[in-house]
Amino acid sequence: MTDKEKAFPKLTRRGLLKGGAAVAGGVVGLGGFPHINRLAVRAQETPLKFWQFYAPGGPVASQVAWFEKTVADWNDSHPQKIELEFIPNSEYISGPKLATAFASGEGPDIFIISPGDFLRYYNGGVLKDLTPFIDEAAKADFPESVIANRMVDGKIFGIPMEVEPMAMYYSVKAFEEAGLNENDVPKTWDELLEVAKKLTTPERFGVMFETQPGYYQNFTWYPFLWQGGGEFQTPEGKSGFDSPATVQALKFWQDAINSGVAPRQIMGAGGHDTIANLASGYVAMQNVGIWGISQLQSNAKDFQYGVFRLPTPPNGKYVTVGGGWAFVANAKGRNSDAAGEFCAWALASMDQGSVDRVATWCTKGKSDMPPRNSALKAGGRAFSTGMIGKFAEEIHPGTRAEPRVPPEVYKIISDAIQQTQLGGADPQATATAASQQLDAFLSSYQGAPIL
Amino acid sequence: MTTIAETTARRRHAGRARLSAKHREWIAGYLFVLPDALGLLVFLGVPMALSLVLSVFEVNGFGGYSFVGGRNYLRMWNDPLFWKGARVTALYAIMLVPLLYVCGLGLALLVQRTDRFNAVMRSMFFAPHMVSLVVVALVWQFMVVDKIGVISRLTAALDMGGFSFLGDPNFALITIVLVSVWFLMGFYMLIFLGGLQDIPRQYYEAAMIDGAGPIARFWFITLPLLKPTSFFVVMVSMVAAVAGAQAFDIIYVMTKGGPANATSVLIVYIYQQAFGFGAFGYAAAMASILVVALMLVTGVFFALTRGGRFNHEQ
Amino acid sequence: MSSKRPQPYFSRSQVTLVRGLWMVVTAILAFMTLFPLLWMVSIAFKPAAESFSSNLIPQAPTLDNFIYVLTGVPFIRYMVNSFLVSATVTIVALFFHTMAGYALARLRFPGREILFLSIFSTFLVSLPVIIVPLFVIVKAMGMLNSYVGLIIPAIFNAFGIFLLRQYYLSLPKEIEEAARIDGAGYWRIYWSVILPLSRPIMSALAILFFLANWNSFLWPLTITSDPNLWVVQLGIANFKSQYSASWNYMMAASTIVAIPTLILFVIFQRQIMDSLKTSGLK
Repeated sequence: MTDKEKAFPKLTRRGLLKGGAAVAGGVVGLGGFPHINRLAVRAQETPLKFWQFYAPGGPVASQVAWFEKTVADWNDSHPQKIELEFIPNSEYISGPKLATAFASGEGPDIFIISPGDFLRYYNGGVLKDLTPFIDEAAKADFPESVIANRMVDGKIFGIPMEVEPMAMYYSVKAFEEAGLNENDVPKTWDELLEVAKKLTTPERFGVMFETQPGYYQNFTWYPFLWQGGGEFQTPEGKSGFDSPATVQALKFWQDAINSGVAPRQIMGAGGHDTIANLASGYVAMQNVGIWGISQLQSNAKDFQYGVFRLPTPPNGKYVTVGGGWAFVANAKGRNSDAAGEFCAWALASMDQGSVDRVATWCTKGKSDMPPRNSALKAGGRAFSTGMIGKFAEEIHPGTRAEPRVPPEVYKIISDAIQQTQLGGADPQATATAASQQLDAFLSSYQGAPIL
Repeated sequence: MTTIAETTARRRHAGRARLSAKHREWIAGYLFVLPDALGLLVFLGVPMALSLVLSVFEVNGFGGYSFVGGRNYLRMWNDPLFWKGARVTALYAIMLVPLLYVCGLGLALLVQRTDRFNAVMRSMFFAPHMVSLVVVALVWQFMVVDKIGVISRLTAALDMGGFSFLGDPNFALITIVLVSVWFLMGFYMLIFLGGLQDIPRQYYEAAMIDGAGPIARFWFITLPLLKPTSFFVVMVSMVAAVAGAQAFDIIYVMTKGGPANATSVLIVYIYQQAFGFGAFGYAAAMASILVVALMLVTGVFFALTRGGRFNHEQ
Repeated sequence: MSSKRPQPYFSRSQVTLVRGLWMVVTAILAFMTLFPLLWMVSIAFKPAAESFSSNLIPQAPTLDNFIYVLTGVPFIRYMVNSFLVSATVTIVALFFHTMAGYALARLRFPGREILFLSIFSTFLVSLPVIIVPLFVIVKAMGMLNSYVGLIIPAIFNAFGIFLLRQYYLSLPKEIEEAARIDGAGYWRIYWSVILPLSRPIMSALAILFFLANWNSFLWPLTITSDPNLWVVQLGIANFKSQYSASWNYMMAASTIVAIPTLILFVIFQRQIMDSLKTSGLK
């Protein structure tokens, strides 16, 4: 950025003329669309592109530093260089940048994805098989619940960098104002609504669940479906959505809205934003993930809060959902072997540097659960004290991996949640209708298994 | 004989001169339009055509293309969300276009006089348009949030009840329309100001001598003479409502098409299919239908107004 | 100016009263319009912890947000980029569009209406719909990740052509006739008759073009990956992280970004009004 000479090279007259010539040339070259991408001739020496959303100048400096150090360490010891490129987070998921790049053959060589996107990229054939780069010991180091939804036919296509389980957070101040203390923390759905009612004031809502449609809302809803034994898909690959468990989960969220204890609209960046919602006093309890710890730590230091496990329905059992992103390599990239090797080297090698890297990310970069047993050990006390310790002991043991679903399935479930939660639709009728749509889709689906 | 030959020669010469003057005008016309026409062709026309081609393909978003004929169009016909999107789009446009017309023209009339006070007022009315839409949409979201938003407090204090502006499917679209009007009205005010300034002052003076009051003057002079501007405003605001980037931005930031698809206009649904789901073929099919529908509607307007010329045809 | 107008209906005091009321109504409406922007400015002066409080006046006003935006990230750089792109696009677009608008409104040639309707039809397409083919074209021209890639595709827009054509249609016929009798060619007429007459409309368009590009986001996002080429809206989007957003920085940045456009508006508005007074047409 300090290199002023490099700053405006394209604005010279020659540059402009070249642009003009390119306009003419481009029209001629268009005949080849969509295989036009092959026209671009690139030197092998150019560095591989690594796309992610932890941008320099971003809010958490330690995350940026971790990415920079990881890439710098690799570049010091490997001939194929790698270069970080930043995409603003709001545009990374479901935005046009990645979609446009991949559709035109300009996709990055290495990038990060969430389980929500896994099938789209896998079925599109761009995910590189990373198994050859990971040795058996390292493979065993990843718990089944963490790695399963990144695998197809026993092969690993993505290496998780973090595990982010969902929980409930509450404001100590709001509890005190309502004459409650930590012993009043709700354990069942009914208790949650009851406590929320006590916490609701003209200025504040008692509890909050995500309200904006999106992958994130589905993600946060799955545990409530699972707790009653519900699944959106049966083991035979049919829809399992039309079940009492679905209906009660839909109804639970609907009740929270209809009884006036939960807001219809959320503040700030979304349901995952604790600063704008919990710390601001807008809500007294918030359904949010483990990242809330570092969020509150860095932006609302003085805010007193507690965490507790997701409450359960009658006859239900405790379960929560764990999200988190993974490194993947582009199988259609220029040097996909080096890209795959990089992913394994960074996160899935038994080498101490790799283990420490994972532990550092989950303790210094973020406040997350590590995806590897060895990293949990390497992190030591960091994973056993404070709020993180509470997560490690009470919340995380019931974690189930975020489902990977194709976009069509996501949309059907999302619409069902939205229609009942905010549209006031009947949960049973909605579940039945959604189940029929799911069946119609699943009967013609031909891709990697939906998990 | 010689005289006849002379006159024919002269006539032919004169004819050639007339013809070449005409041709000169032709050539000048083409040359003047050329840079823009070429640029529009390359950067909009060709992508539009490619998008049309794409609509008969199944595209996986990773370089996989397979020809499927009309299947994307058939899917659209059977997709309730497409029809929902079409309905929401039509509703949005039907509410937005008249409101923008009235507010834009109203503001322009309000600040029409050229003085320092009005200059300041104009800047204030135009100010929303100067700020990044993404950021002001966030501010609006904050102002109408349940219970504690400024506007929610106001409606509660006025005993209108504490309803949710963006979280209730019955109100969300109306809220979006009002925010859109707020953001865009300064823009149309500016355009109407240009149009108002074009009306020769003598017309008003003559009308006043005839004893016409302010309402009569507005009705019989301002409105008729504003026809070309009005035509432009209606056309542009309609296109902006249906396919505009600003309508899209407002909705995408404030509701993401929710709650329960209540604000899912077609352009939001298309965007979701293309970039969220990678269904570029299906998205292209919907986009093509949208463009055709807009062409039909605007085509009718052009036909009714003689190409937007009204009585100015030379 | 208006005092010279005949006022058959109202007495002088009535006029003053009406005008006073008129001004009050205008001022109230203007304030209401501005109100949401006051919130933006207010949050820009609040510390992070206070961002979401519902008081308009900051309890502990601070300049830290502005200082961070200007020094903590290369925001000046983004503003320079945005300015270069917006100014270039505006100037070139005004030049091309006045030419096209003039020809489409005042010259006669075969296919003129078809050409106009074709140009207009490009106005019906929104960027997200064509962004993939457009990206491919721009890539084929080798303009990815460059200023030309940011500038050239942004120049062509049917909106300006449409507006200018409507404007030129309404100019009286006699304007060119005098020049034509003097033997002026079409270029001379365009350059020394039409362009000077277009000053007000060009000033208005200059504001609109500049603003559209100054605030553009989707296209710069799609074709640039080099942070040196980032424009302001990308810089602002960068204040959002995975799970939260630094509203205080976003609002401070947006406030800074709005200042140049405000200045521009004031300058050009004077230009619009001045030229209207002197054009002699009215």
